[in-house]
Amino acid sequence: MYVLGVETSCDETSVSIVKDGKFVLSNVVLSQIEIHKEYGGVVPEIASREHVKGITYVFDKAISEAGINFEDIGLIAVTKGPGLIGSLLIGVNAAKVISLNYNIPIVGVHHIAGHIYANYIDNGMEFPLLALVVSGGHTELILMEEHYDFKKLGETQDDAVGEAYDKVARILGLPYPGGPIVDKKAALGKDTMKFPRPMVDSGDFNFSFSGLKSHVINVHHNMLQRHEDVNIEDFCASFQEAVTDVLVSKTIQAKNMFDVKQVIVAGGVAANSGLRRKMKERITDIPVYFPKMAYCTDNAAMIASAGYFQYLKHQKADDLFLNGQSRLNLEG
Amino acid sequence: MKKLLKQLVIDTATKNIFLSLIIDGEEKQFVYEEGINNHSITVMPYLEEMLNKENLKLQDLDQVIVGVGPGSYTGVRIGVTVAKMIGYLNNLEVYTVSSLALMASHSDNPYVLALIDARRGNAFMGLYSNVNEKLTLVSEDVLDNVEEYKSRIETDYLVVEEGKPQIKKILNTNLLRKIEIIHSLTPNYLRITEAERNLINEANNEGNC
Ligand SMILES: [Zn+2]
Repeated sequence: MYVLGVETSCDETSVSIVKDGKFVLSNVVLSQIEIHKEYGGVVPEIASREHVKGITYVFDKAISEAGINFEDIGLIAVTKGPGLIGSLLIGVNAAKVISLNYNIPIVGVHHIAGHIYANYIDNGMEFPLLALVVSGGHTELILMEEHYDFKKLGETQDDAVGEAYDKVARILGLPYPGGPIVDKKAALGKDTMKFPRPMVDSGDFNFSFSGLKSHVINVHHNMLQRHEDVNIEDFCASFQEAVTDVLVSKTIQAKNMFDVKQVIVAGGVAANSGLRRKMKERITDIPVYFPKMAYCTDNAAMIASAGYFQYLKHQKADDLFLNGQSRLNLEG
Repeated sequence: MKKLLKQLVIDTATKNIFLSLIIDGEEKQFVYEEGINNHSITVMPYLEEMLNKENLKLQDLDQVIVGVGPGSYTGVRIGVTVAKMIGYLNNLEVYTVSSLALMASHSDNPYVLALIDARRGNAFMGLYSNVNEKLTLVSEDVLDNVEEYKSRIETDYLVVEEGKPQIKKILNTNLLRKIEIIHSLTPNYLRITEAERNLINEANNEGNC
């Protein structure tokens, strides 16, 4: 079955055609990153305006690259949340028009389910599996015992990992988005600062990064006050080591407790090379999978894949009253 | 048999929703609902219902006319997105119209000031007049201070802030603008975003230092 995926939850307008949840015929992503860079972060109103501008163009490109017609599509999968509400509404309404126009069933998909299923495209899934979801808006550990079954083991109590990265990049004077730059600098430095590893031994699967973030900001501030040179590479490496230590050690604890067959990492921070390396180094008894780079950041292929399994599992489509939701529970 | 011209009108730029299905110049079906600002949920179900009543599909339409604002940013984007997609999928002619013109068409007063509140004493406003049962534009839509704008109007006029549009007063007038390339269709916001304004101000201030 050809599934049309639509993703507009943040600052990428993306449309994709994926066959049977796995074979990506096209995955068009119109990124606004260059536009938002000037503002040091995503400006919701600008994001919404850009989605409207690009929406039909992206559909057109995805359909022609896939070499199919809209009539060939068996299911429409659109991100319904969580995300920026003004942005979500563009994708949801565009998808509803296609649904009515060609009488194709439509399902609203959870954005994080999409990030998790990004892994299915290249690596498949074997259950039970453990998913570490790390992005600008999310840090959570999720247990899956079968397709489209999500049990949240724990999550961040405050900031998401990606948020902490952006904040640290900003105080170091590095451009937005902070994650990739801090990662690059970290690769050239050493963990000289020995920042704290928050909640690493808390015994549960929750995270907290705001304390670490404030600590890092304070240390930086004090160094400047004392006119000490800040070695940016070492600073980034120290921050990254602290963050990835926590992420990897919690993942290992959960992996052991639930005796999973594989670990998958999902979301924008899955692109982080330090996290990739440490996961592979420390988890050697079972496979650890990361989506390929194009499927780490927001894209519609992952939504199409997730939507396919959602539809198989629930055998139920949404109706034209489908709406975007800025907050949405994955387990619900 | 002569083929009938089937036109769909969509406007979601205010807290009211307006949909109209016109067949050979006659409004056969319409939805006009005031005050319930959940266009994202309702626009497609209403559209389906209207089409079903006339035994039509989206693919049977010939033209789409869409209110492109000014008005609520989130609201106007929904109608424009829907119109853009319908036009694109079915290769239809798409026309834009001012959402203020649609609002003004409700009244038969000689001069009509259509007004959408934009807070802090400002509003989106457009001055229109009724001539021979057609609506014409007197003064281009603007975002301005309400009192200052009103003080500059030299005729008697009626302020209109809601009411069902009389779409026949707009059909076949130059208030409609044809979109040549569907991908280029965007709302008429009449204002850049706050973030963009701040960036420009910052740049200007830096220049003064
Ligand atoms: Zn995402």
